[in-house]
Amino acid sequence: MQHHKKALLLSIVPGLGQFYNKQWVKGLLFFLASVSFFIAFKDLLNMGLWGIVTLGTEVPRDNSVFLLAQGIIAILVLGFGLAVYYANLRDAYRNGKLRDDNQALHTLKDDYQNLIGQGYPYLISGPSLFVLIFAVVFPILFSFALAFTNYDLYHSPPANLVDWVGLQTFSEIFTVDIWRSTFFDVLAWTVVWTLVASALQVSLGILLAIVVNQKDMRFKRFFRTILVLPWAVPGFVTILIFAGLFNDSFGAINNDILAAFGIDPIPWLTNASWSKLALILMQGWLGFPYIFLVTTGVLQSIPDDLYEAATVDGASIWAKFKNITLPMILIAMAPIIITQFTFNFNNFNIIYLFNGGGPAVPGSTAGGTDILVSWIYKLTMQSSQYSLAAALTILLSVFVITIALWQFRRTNSFKEGA
Amino acid sequence: MQNMKKQRLIRLLFSYALLIFMTTIIVYPLLWTVGASFNPGNSLVSTSIIPANPTLDHYKELFAGKDSLQYVQWYMNSLKISLFTMLGTIISVSFTAYAFSRFRFKGRKNALTLFLLLQMIPQFSALIALFVLAQILGMMNSHWLLILLYIGGLIPMNTYLMKGYMDSIPIDLDESARIDGASNTRIFLQIIMPLSKPMVAVVAMNGFTGPLGDFILSSTILRTPESYTLPIGLYNLVNEVMGASYTTFAAGAILISIPIALIFILLQKNFVSGLTAGGTKG
Amino acid sequence: MKTYKKYASLLTGAALSLSLAACGPQESSGGNEGSEGEAGSKELIVWEDIEKSAGIEDAVAQFEEEHDVSIKVIEKPYAQQIEDLRLDGPAGTGPDVLTMASDQIGTAVTEGLIKELAAGEDIQSTYTDISMQSQMVDGKVYGLPKAVETSMLYYNKELVSEEELPQTLDEWYEYSKEVTDGKQFGFLALFDQIYYAQSVMGGYGGYIFSSDENGSYDTSDIGLNNAGAVEGAEYIQKFYEEGLFPAGIIGEQGINVLESLFTEGKAAAIISGPWNLDPFTKAGIDYGVVKLPELSNGENMSAFIGVKSYNVSTYTKNAELAEELVEFLANEENSKTRYELTKEVPAVEALANDPIVTESESAQAVAQQSEFSELMPNVPQMNEVWTPADAALQTIATGKAEPKEALDQAVETIKGQIDAKHSSN
Repeated sequence: MQHHKKALLLSIVPGLGQFYNKQWVKGLLFFLASVSFFIAFKDLLNMGLWGIVTLGTEVPRDNSVFLLAQGIIAILVLGFGLAVYYANLRDAYRNGKLRDDNQALHTLKDDYQNLIGQGYPYLISGPSLFVLIFAVVFPILFSFALAFTNYDLYHSPPANLVDWVGLQTFSEIFTVDIWRSTFFDVLAWTVVWTLVASALQVSLGILLAIVVNQKDMRFKRFFRTILVLPWAVPGFVTILIFAGLFNDSFGAINNDILAAFGIDPIPWLTNASWSKLALILMQGWLGFPYIFLVTTGVLQSIPDDLYEAATVDGASIWAKFKNITLPMILIAMAPIIITQFTFNFNNFNIIYLFNGGGPAVPGSTAGGTDILVSWIYKLTMQSSQYSLAAALTILLSVFVITIALWQFRRTNSFKEGA
Repeated sequence: MQNMKKQRLIRLLFSYALLIFMTTIIVYPLLWTVGASFNPGNSLVSTSIIPANPTLDHYKELFAGKDSLQYVQWYMNSLKISLFTMLGTIISVSFTAYAFSRFRFKGRKNALTLFLLLQMIPQFSALIALFVLAQILGMMNSHWLLILLYIGGLIPMNTYLMKGYMDSIPIDLDESARIDGASNTRIFLQIIMPLSKPMVAVVAMNGFTGPLGDFILSSTILRTPESYTLPIGLYNLVNEVMGASYTTFAAGAILISIPIALIFILLQKNFVSGLTAGGTKG
Repeated sequence: MKTYKKYASLLTGAALSLSLAACGPQESSGGNEGSEGEAGSKELIVWEDIEKSAGIEDAVAQFEEEHDVSIKVIEKPYAQQIEDLRLDGPAGTGPDVLTMASDQIGTAVTEGLIKELAAGEDIQSTYTDISMQSQMVDGKVYGLPKAVETSMLYYNKELVSEEELPQTLDEWYEYSKEVTDGKQFGFLALFDQIYYAQSVMGGYGGYIFSSDENGSYDTSDIGLNNAGAVEGAEYIQKFYEEGLFPAGIIGEQGINVLESLFTEGKAAAIISGPWNLDPFTKAGIDYGVVKLPELSNGENMSAFIGVKSYNVSTYTKNAELAEELVEFLANEENSKTRYELTKEVPAVEALANDPIVTESESAQAVAQQSEFSELMPNVPQMNEVWTPADAALQTIATGKAEPKEALDQAVETIKGQIDAKHSSN
């Protein structure tokens, strides 16, 4: 039998293949790594894998939700393990192959050099990826898994077990009347909110940056400092303060500002349309400084000679803006602008803190200004509809991701064209 | 010529008018908050910007050391969490962005797409999952776990921004350094990082303010009053059915805003002046 | 190269299935963490309501001594305790004994968060019937009453004197009309919330769920849109329509605004619960409390009776001791001490005629109002009532909907949600 086949077969037990290739240190490393892996994670893997399949069999001993989470962690850990295992097989095979071809084997030092050179990007992004997997990917997998269970008030630990039910929850969203109608109402407002609020904050930020950066403006430092203040105060603080200012009968906006102009009080908090307007204005206030700042950076990097050349050609201010400034800004800021949209799509804090998603609207299980995330939060925390909330999260994700990918393709080609 | 001058005058007039208008809109709620913090009583009903009989009571209450209002403790917790989140985010984001920007490795494209998608799914969609994770690790009430979770949440979007910025730094710079025998890490530390300062400042700001805007995730992990952060504590202050105190909240809010504003002013130079002529594409 | 990939993935797959096959239920029947442990560490954790732990301090000390345990008392808003128990219970950071509101008991039992108690007839008979009833689900006892609450009328003695106090809601309406000027208000209440609005609607014959003799509810019979409820809602709407209730007390911030108006002397009277006795005193208001006024049909305004109770967590490791502690804290003597210190009206039958209760204005107000009040339903279906009912009342208050329409729609929504979420049971 050829060396590479033997080495591959032997390394079914990690390390043996390397021993066969007479790479003792590496073999030992692989062997020890796998032994310690099994010792360290034996229980987790055992309970987790059993748990995720069955979701528990006995109450109150088994807590389905914990078993599910453990199961997902176990799968992630197993994934890491298998990756190492795969590397072990690959290494044994390759070195076996080298022996078959009568070539010199890599020394440990070679391997190390190779790791530093070829593996450099993996090495420096590895830790981030690791954190990302546990902090972001794991929760997402978990809530996706929940969507396929019947986890709700009547199927919740410790009194009851949760079971896998397949697509049932999804079909309910579209067949149960109150959920379907609420879902589409909320989705519609979420889309409007995302587009309008983001557009407002982006255009306001860009406009102000251009105004402040005019050559002949004075007090630039002062205005810049003032204009970024909304960013310096934590958002949740400002939102709660605004909630007070917008109060229908006692808020300063109705009583001091509008009254001074002789305008009748506006039902900011009790009328859904006014509430929506207030939210959009507030998000403009909260969101523009970030855009303002980044735009300022971009503006300062546009070389003067471009403008000088344009002036020589007799271009008007407007023409200069349209043909030089704006394209420059948009190209440089495309990714940032996209993040503004996704941020607002998931902007839970402002909706929840301002008016609790209210005011109430008749015949709907969500409030008049609830967006999808805040509705999902309410379903989870206030009415224990865990699986429904999870199913909605999936629908929401599919929705944003589709749009984002489509949008991303467009801006990408836009970039290449420019 | 006369016409040009007139045009310029009108333009400037409009510009200043707009800026003064914006200044008012920005400063008004902030001043109102300051005013509220000196008003007697608890309510938001009767406060005014200039209180008739100002009082320092609310500030005193913050430092009175009540069990349900451990302001100093929360303040320290928040500072700690924000600082380490900021540091961690800068380090992990800039290394990762460097890898994505300067190296062509297997899986790069997929990882980039993954990053783009991950930032769109709200992290708190699975609070229960994070809670279970904390428990399995035995890290309930642990600030370090919370910091890691925050960093994880900040990585996708900020890596994206940072990578975009690093892409705009001419690659000739790296290459000439490499010819001089500089290692990858040295190129990163001595060339790329200094040139990325403006974006590092943005990432730093995101990292610092992120934890200060969150009370959902943190209240899931932190279950004892000693370990609370300011957002949890302050939110409870106004959210309690009995004895909600908007004025004490205002006082607490002002004291939390000051360090952020300071950091901000320190970083501000970097935001605007760092970009060099070669900074943009094309 | 291709062959190696095939081999490698084959082997990786084999390893995966091996590790999968290795695990299974054989291990699981051995693991019994979380079940009745040996009472090794004798420590009990009690979650007490916020700013109420002073009331049980002595009792706790006594219990510690008698049973040789250490007890840790942690304060948490009582309405939030059940939510925290969901997380803290399995985490092992949860309490052995907790406090909760009776309307949450049905939900807590469904989820299996609280333990059934063995309390027999002799213990049950200590408490008033209605308060004991609130602790029962399907004839089993899940907690012992700690305090009884109803809403009542607070009035500011500087603005309206005791002798001239309007006795009916109509009189209050007239009074409000006289004094309301946009800055100063007469009588105020949070009638945009079913908890308070039911006081009016109930008096005219509206109800949430119909109940039989034994106190079990028929959740398919909802009386929130019957003729009486609509009449009550129309009456409520008048207050808002004519500007007697400012729009600022509607919605999320309503409760804060309402309380601020009262503590600043800008409202002559408000409807609120006993939880405000202390805060209002601290705010330096010279106030009185009485039962709620009468309605135009001669009925007294009704109210919800809320019972706060001590319960034992399912996650406790010392169930017996925890139950003993609950019985001890809720007994007559400790209820009395607690009342003296925290002013929470106890549910102990024998204390109803005790001078410390009869001589207290607030305890009397609660006792009198209780006669016209009904228990807040403790079935899980109640969770579906709050939001739609409040939504309907809010739209009635803001004049965006006619009472009849709004209530019909609310009932439809409630029914829909009960069907969708609670039909599996």
